[in-house]
Amino acid sequence: MPRFKLDDRELPFEKGDTIIRAAHRQGIEIPHYCWHPGLSVAANCRMCLVEIEPPPGRPAMMLDIMHWDEGKRDWVPAKKPKLQPACQQEVSEGMVVRSQSSTHVAEARRSVQEFLLVNHPVDCPICDQAGECKLQDYWMSEGRQPKRMLDEPVHKPKGVVFSETIVYDAERCIACTRCIRVCDELAGDHALDLRERGNRFEVVLAPGRKLDGPYSLMTEHVCPVGALTSSHFRFKARVWTLRGSPGVCSGCATGCNTWVDADPRENRVYRLRPRDNEQVNKYWMCDDGMMTYERQRLGRVSRAYVGRDSARSEAAVEDALKRAATELSKVPKGKLAVVLSAQATCEDNLVLAELARAVEARLYLSARGPWQADRVLRNADANPNRAGAVLVGGDKVGSLQDLVASVAAGDVQGIVGIGADADLDSATLAPLGRVGAVALFLSHDGPLARFATVTVPVCSALEAEGHFVNVKGLAQGFKRAALPREGVLPGWDAAARVGRGLGLELSYRAAREVRAALQARLQPPAKAADTTAAEGASGA
Amino acid sequence: MTARTKVMKKPLRTLGDQSYLVELVKGLGLTLKHFFKGTQQMVANSYANPAEDPFAEGIATLEYPEVKRAYPERWRGVHRLTHREDGSPRCVACLCCSTACPAQCIYIKPAEYPAGDKRRGYERFPEEFVIDELRCIFCGYCVEACPCDAIRMDTGMHMTALDNRASFIFDKEKLMSIPSQHGEFKSENPRHEPGDPSHPGIDRLRGH
Repeated sequence: MPRFKLDDRELPFEKGDTIIRAAHRQGIEIPHYCWHPGLSVAANCRMCLVEIEPPPGRPAMMLDIMHWDEGKRDWVPAKKPKLQPACQQEVSEGMVVRSQSSTHVAEARRSVQEFLLVNHPVDCPICDQAGECKLQDYWMSEGRQPKRMLDEPVHKPKGVVFSETIVYDAERCIACTRCIRVCDELAGDHALDLRERGNRFEVVLAPGRKLDGPYSLMTEHVCPVGALTSSHFRFKARVWTLRGSPGVCSGCATGCNTWVDADPRENRVYRLRPRDNEQVNKYWMCDDGMMTYERQRLGRVSRAYVGRDSARSEAAVEDALKRAATELSKVPKGKLAVVLSAQATCEDNLVLAELARAVEARLYLSARGPWQADRVLRNADANPNRAGAVLVGGDKVGSLQDLVASVAAGDVQGIVGIGADADLDSATLAPLGRVGAVALFLSHDGPLARFATVTVPVCSALEAEGHFVNVKGLAQGFKRAALPREGVLPGWDAAARVGRGLGLELSYRAAREVRAALQARLQPPAKAADTTAAEGASGA
Repeated sequence: MTARTKVMKKPLRTLGDQSYLVELVKGLGLTLKHFFKGTQQMVANSYANPAEDPFAEGIATLEYPEVKRAYPERWRGVHRLTHREDGSPRCVACLCCSTACPAQCIYIKPAEYPAGDKRRGYERFPEEFVIDELRCIFCGYCVEACPCDAIRMDTGMHMTALDNRASFIFDKEKLMSIPSQHGEFKSENPRHEPGDPSHPGIDRLRGH
């Protein structure tokens, strides 16, 4: 692999790499605003300027400048090398690039930083980007000088509503055009553009348009400053109180990698951010996927219930588990159906499938109905783990339609399952009401919930660690982002306890035991890539 | 290496020490000195008023709580939230104070201004602002952190003893009902809303 020199390090690069991308591959950041690894090169912020030494035997390209001499108290003629934008300059073999080690580069960065802050309102206390703002980061690392301009800064429109989700503040904007390029290149929709020049520039919507479409939140995500904010997150929390844990989006079968930002003090998830993964979602997520964090709160089942319809009453989790075992033990052999879920983790499905195998029950799979697919990220299957459930369940996993048919035929007298999602309407599901013993492990309410004779609350995908297998067969692990309500068990634990109540040998008592059993199962067909370990530079 | 020892002389006890009488008289003398300390002022009726001059010498006791010693100007008392011209809190719910608070006694729930308000869209306000005065250690970091001069500890009040814990949880209304020790609800630093003609920004003559 060819190599070039950046400061005092020899770095490899791939043909066609720019300096900034080659450095980014090695985890070295050259300060930048407008460059983003997933977008085209604009080279308009001038923050990434570096000094490139001339090829051997060639003179350096020098510029004549006036330099302030402190000793003479006057401007004196001087020379300075012509700096190049690292985001646009291709690397070549043996190139010598000076970034941190060049005083000219340091001065250029300081000047660019000062220039960008000339008309900035510096309203960090009320800005939601504060804490993850590139202007703040680079002021600390490159600038560190007070404002010298004494005039009133230019005032521009604030709180411009681009859509229901996106609000724009022109005073904070640095015209990096990342949002415009995201619209053009990711969503393929030229809804935004830049107008005016100099200090009067402003990002504007196309006339008569709104910033809608399935990837509008990505404009906020790529904004390096606080110019674009999302109405879901703005004014809710400060980023320095949030802790990000690696997650996998539960919106669809693509399995986009996420950072789940939660406030540990309130035990509340505040937002999802895309986690860079070149194999799956690159740097992006869709709006609906970004909003799946709301599922931690909305429609949650957090208490145990026994009985159905009017006979339903609240119970302790322990009692509900015992009741489930009692009811299921009365079901004759071969008449029990086990319903896996394409929404639940591989771990939950694995233990349920083992329970089914031990009692020779037939396996079925509940899933959500399809959603709008596109050619960017969204898969038509709105279930994150259909492949995983089928993988741990084996080939003979029937659909919910099959379950309804078996119930109608009288082959099923008891059901134990996880998840309440269904892709059938309630009239089609109605025969399930005839089953006398239905134990469901639920994290969320859904169409199946009303058939349960025993409801056991379990952790949602944000409250327990687990694995999802995406549509390409890639198994992706994720960590716990928030704590479950007290007494609420992970799905696999509840299933194992019911299994032990039935006298089965389901000895799983710790998550790592289930994980070990799962790893053995994942090895041959699924590419067992545990992507939680690969934590790329987030947000670039 | 040998350890060096230094022999200390035992202090001798004299007959005076042994009898305790001399020390007894000395001690009583000190007590009596303080007893008669204010007599001269009492006779001349020229007490310094400790409520007016907190550092006045010559007075050891006060008839508290009828007479209170005034606290210094910068003494950190119970918090208050300062008002804007229209009576709303100056606080913009930036959470800097609750971040800086080492006792974690400040809880703020930020909210957006309702539709139609001119501040909607870029500024927020505290829907709830709660300080647990029992947890507070009165370090003043919240006042230091505040970028808007919205929280102050210049009330000159110390936390009075109350008969139940719930009364020590000060909410937004309670905090806004406490004036400064000069009876002011606003702050000495005037607030200029963005867009007001009086908004100074910065200018060449005055600098920052």
